[in-house]
Formats: sequence, structure tokens, C-alpha cells
Amino acid sequence: MSMYRHHSHKVPGLNTSSLPDLIFSVLFFFMIVTHMRKANVLVKYKVPAGTELTKLTHRSATTYIYVGKPMDPSEGSESVVQLNDKLVNVKDIEGYMKHVRKSASDEDKDNLEASIKADRQTKMGIITDIKQALRNANILKINYSATSEHK
Amino acid sequence: MMFGSMFRRKFEYKVPGLNTTSTADISFMLLIFFLVTTSMDADKGITRELPPIDKKSENTPTNVANDKTLRLRIDDAGRLFCNGHPMEITALKDSAEHVIERGGKEHVIQLKTERNASYDSYFHVQNELVAAYNSIRNEKAVQAYGESYEQLSEAQKETIIKAVPQRISETYIEVDNQQ
Repeated sequence: MSMYRHHSHKVPGLNTSSLPDLIFSVLFFFMIVTHMRKANVLVKYKVPAGTELTKLTHRSATTYIYVGKPMDPSEGSESVVQLNDKLVNVKDIEGYMKHVRKSASDEDKDNLEASIKADRQTKMGIITDIKQALRNANILKINYSATSEHK
Repeated sequence: MMFGSMFRRKFEYKVPGLNTTSTADISFMLLIFFLVTTSMDADKGITRELPPIDKKSENTPTNVANDKTLRLRIDDAGRLFCNGHPMEITALKDSAEHVIERGGKEHVIQLKTERNASYDSYFHVQNELVAAYNSIRNEKAVQAYGESYEQLSEAQKETIIKAVPQRISETYIEVDNQQ
């Protein structure tokens, strides 16, 4: 009896010295698979769903164009266009994209691309105007952003 | 040597280990910061090539025979018309494949979209057309190399793309009195 009592059965504490390493590896995982949100989106949009999608490859050479109804209801309910981080008129796109082409780095110049994130209910008139503006600015690669739909 | 070590041992004092208990908390905070500021949604979509501005797309299809052309139109309500007849979007892929196979390099798909049509209907038409091209390219790839298109090398893909070019001409309806 007394022999047992002498032995104090202490459970050794959990060794947490590798915990930071574990969390660091999770952190690095997230840093690799995610990307920084570039712009504060000012329009409401729900992109269409498609089956034949490809991934956007040259992120640094991509200009994002958002089309949809404004987030702020005081700005009306007509579709508006947001270019990267601010709302613009369709006719200003051409000038801006020409500026983008001028200021792009050499390796990006060949891969300049516009990603159109437009709401499903947008009228094609606006999209056509945007496409014409891009053609005028000689940005010929466009990507209609979409979510994948499983058949 | 012996003497030296003995001598030094007298003055030996231990440097306390760095307390790293909070490293886990610090890295947790970093992790949460990244979770909040980044987004996971991969940018995906249908990639298209626009025709250059100097070469008007309307000029190209003039000498194309009728059976090698697919005339698509999306009206204001988003309905699809193929060569003047209404068509279901689900039937588009088959007829597009038909035209592409029959026309070979000479086929043309004309797409005219009314300004009031919804983007969704336009997008689905594009999606079906890309699906038609992909399935034919895949077929050609299996015939020529015995592998699916995705698995081919860049050079082989190039050959297939040359054999099955995407010839979609879009009619742009401009409005002059746009604000």
C-alpha cells in the first residue's frame, strides 16, 4: 500500500514545442493557395456558371472589370462598371486600358488580359461596349469569369 | 586541456532557454490575418480572343458557303435562334460540332447578340461553343496521338489548334446615341 503512495504518478505535460512549426506550415499552406483580395468591390454581381472553364494564368497582367448593380443603393439600380478599384464610365475604359498597356512590364505586355466579372442579369449592350473599348485599346484577351457548374 | 576545462567548469553558468511558448500564438495570429485578408476563390472563366480592331470581323465570312456557317442570334429576351429558327441551348453543342466538322478550317460561327439580351444567355452560348470545340479537339487528339487533348504537349496542342481553329465572328451592335 504505502509503496504505491510513494510513487507520485504525474502525467508528463504535453510537449508543445512543435506547435509553432505546425501552425507555420498551415500558415504557409494558406499563403500559397489563397491570394490577396485586390480591390474593394463596389458592385453586386453573381457570375454565370459554366462547364468549360480555364484558370486565369497571368494574374499580374490582368485587369478586372466588374459589372453589376451598385452596392450603394443611393447610386441607383442601373448597372455600373468598376475597373480594378473604382467605378468608371464605359467610355473611360479605353483610355485607362491604353495606360495599362503603356505602364505594363515587358513580360506582362504579351499577356495583358481583362477579366470580366459581370452579373448574370447585365444587359449585353454594356458588355459589348466594354469589349469594343478593349479592342480599341488592343487588349484582345478576355476572360468571362464564371463559377464551375457540375453536370 | 584537462586543467583548462576543469578551471572553466567552475564558472559555468547556463543561459536560460528562450521562452517560445508564445510563438504558437504569434503564428496563429498571422494565420488568422491571412485567412481574413485573402480569398480562396480561384479565378476561372472562359477565355476568349477578341478580333483586332483594324480587321473588321464582318468582312471575313462573305465567301463562306452556307452549309459551313452557323448563324446564331440571341434576341432581346435571351432566346437563341440558329439560322433563323428558335433553338434550345442544349441542342447548340451538337449542331455546332456538326458545322465545325463539316466546315473544317473554313467553318464560321456567327454570333449576333441584341443589346438587351442578358449576359447569362450570352455566356451559356459561349460555353456551349467552347464545349463543342473542346470535344472535337479532344476527338482529333485521340485520333492523332491516342491521348486526350489535355494530356498533349504544347507542340501537339498547337497542331490540333491549327487543325480545328476557333472561328467565331461576333457582330457588334453599336448604338450611336449612347450617353
